[in-house]
Amino acid sequence: MRRINSIYGRIGLFKRISEKSTKQSHTFLASHSFSTHGGYGGDGELQQNNSKVKIFDRDLKRIHRDRAAWLSSRHKNNSFVDAVADNLLDRLEDCKKSFPTALCLGGSIGAVKRLIRGRGGIEKLIMMDTSYDMIKSCRDADEDSLGNSIETSYLVGDEEFLPIKESSVDLIISSLGLHWTNDLPGSMIQCKLALKPDGLFLAAILGGETLKELRIACTLAHMEREGGISPRLSPLAQVRDAGNLLTRAGFSLPGVDVDEYVVKYKSALDLIEHLRAMGETNGLLERNKILNRETALATAAIYDSMFATEDGTIPATFQVIYMTGWREHSSHQQAKRRGSATVSFRDLHKQFGGQSES
Amino acid sequence: MVRLSRVLLKDAGNVIDKTLSEILVCPLSKQPLRFCEKTKSLVSDTIGVSFPMKGGIPCLVPKDGKILEEESEASKKNIK
Repeated sequence: MRRINSIYGRIGLFKRISEKSTKQSHTFLASHSFSTHGGYGGDGELQQNNSKVKIFDRDLKRIHRDRAAWLSSRHKNNSFVDAVADNLLDRLEDCKKSFPTALCLGGSIGAVKRLIRGRGGIEKLIMMDTSYDMIKSCRDADEDSLGNSIETSYLVGDEEFLPIKESSVDLIISSLGLHWTNDLPGSMIQCKLALKPDGLFLAAILGGETLKELRIACTLAHMEREGGISPRLSPLAQVRDAGNLLTRAGFSLPGVDVDEYVVKYKSALDLIEHLRAMGETNGLLERNKILNRETALATAAIYDSMFATEDGTIPATFQVIYMTGWREHSSHQQAKRRGSATVSFRDLHKQFGGQSES
Repeated sequence: MVRLSRVLLKDAGNVIDKTLSEILVCPLSKQPLRFCEKTKSLVSDTIGVSFPMKGGIPCLVPKDGKILEEESEASKKNIK
């Protein structure tokens, strides 16, 4: 048998072996529906993820998040990230259910952990991130504040390949992390599978209106200086797509809402510093790795002249889309079967006054 | 006191957290993992990959995994 050198190719190996052992075929079927293309290894035997679209450079994102871990230890206050995490955790108060086991996926795990404050009845918290440094700084911060009654475990993992057993957690929270995944539907499907029945999935991702001022300033500056544009901002989800994503992943009772935060900075360079500290800098595969000093200064100048407010600060818009979904359970509302209606429209018409014939 | 001892154990990398050991599976094949004492790593037998543990924290990113040669041959033979 040929030696398969790549790890992703090994999944194809696993699938072939599993098809031969018919006794356990029912458990292996679950692994076929994780990603949107019906399998990690593609259709061929040794193909890697060629059939999936790669927009973001995940390895670069790990490095960004490592750097963010070092930078954010210096800047302790990050009000935007805290506001998003707070909003997300508030939704736990609206549920009568308590969630003993919770999984926190990358993004701003530190903020989520800090702001839980006993909401949702969480007893065991599992923190997961792609970057080891981020997890380590989270664990060190935890040891500093000893007044913690939640049992926390730490894990380094990728949201696109979730290493969590099926039906094992009650709650999954992802605050500003999923907009960097290449395969968002696939990640959400895996999250749904990891949830117990009647488990909750809460996510906050950045929406299409985010940093529109920066996008405009960058485009103008590039067109002027370099005569062309290269992608500087990642493609972000639209609100109408969020609902589709939730239903496609198979969540029941989906809910989407949008919030816009305008953060004020002293200058455009402050904005970039803040983005670096959050690990949100450009991670596109198609990015231009060189940034001209002239172009950068022109961007800052255009941003200032076009969008500055009276007191000299510049605003930046962050549009956050909050998504909630539950794993199906018999206690949820279900649509009735076709043909099981007990009242006809004619009766309703008679009941509620039918002066006009429809 | 209990928390302090748990921190020490974690740093030693000898014990994997009980919560995690119940929940973790291989990220690629979703099959259970085996903790290998010798190399202090989590091994996924079905595809023959081992994931390291750094500072007591399991690193289950597919890119971090190492392919194991002899064990993958043995597992293939067993399943056939």
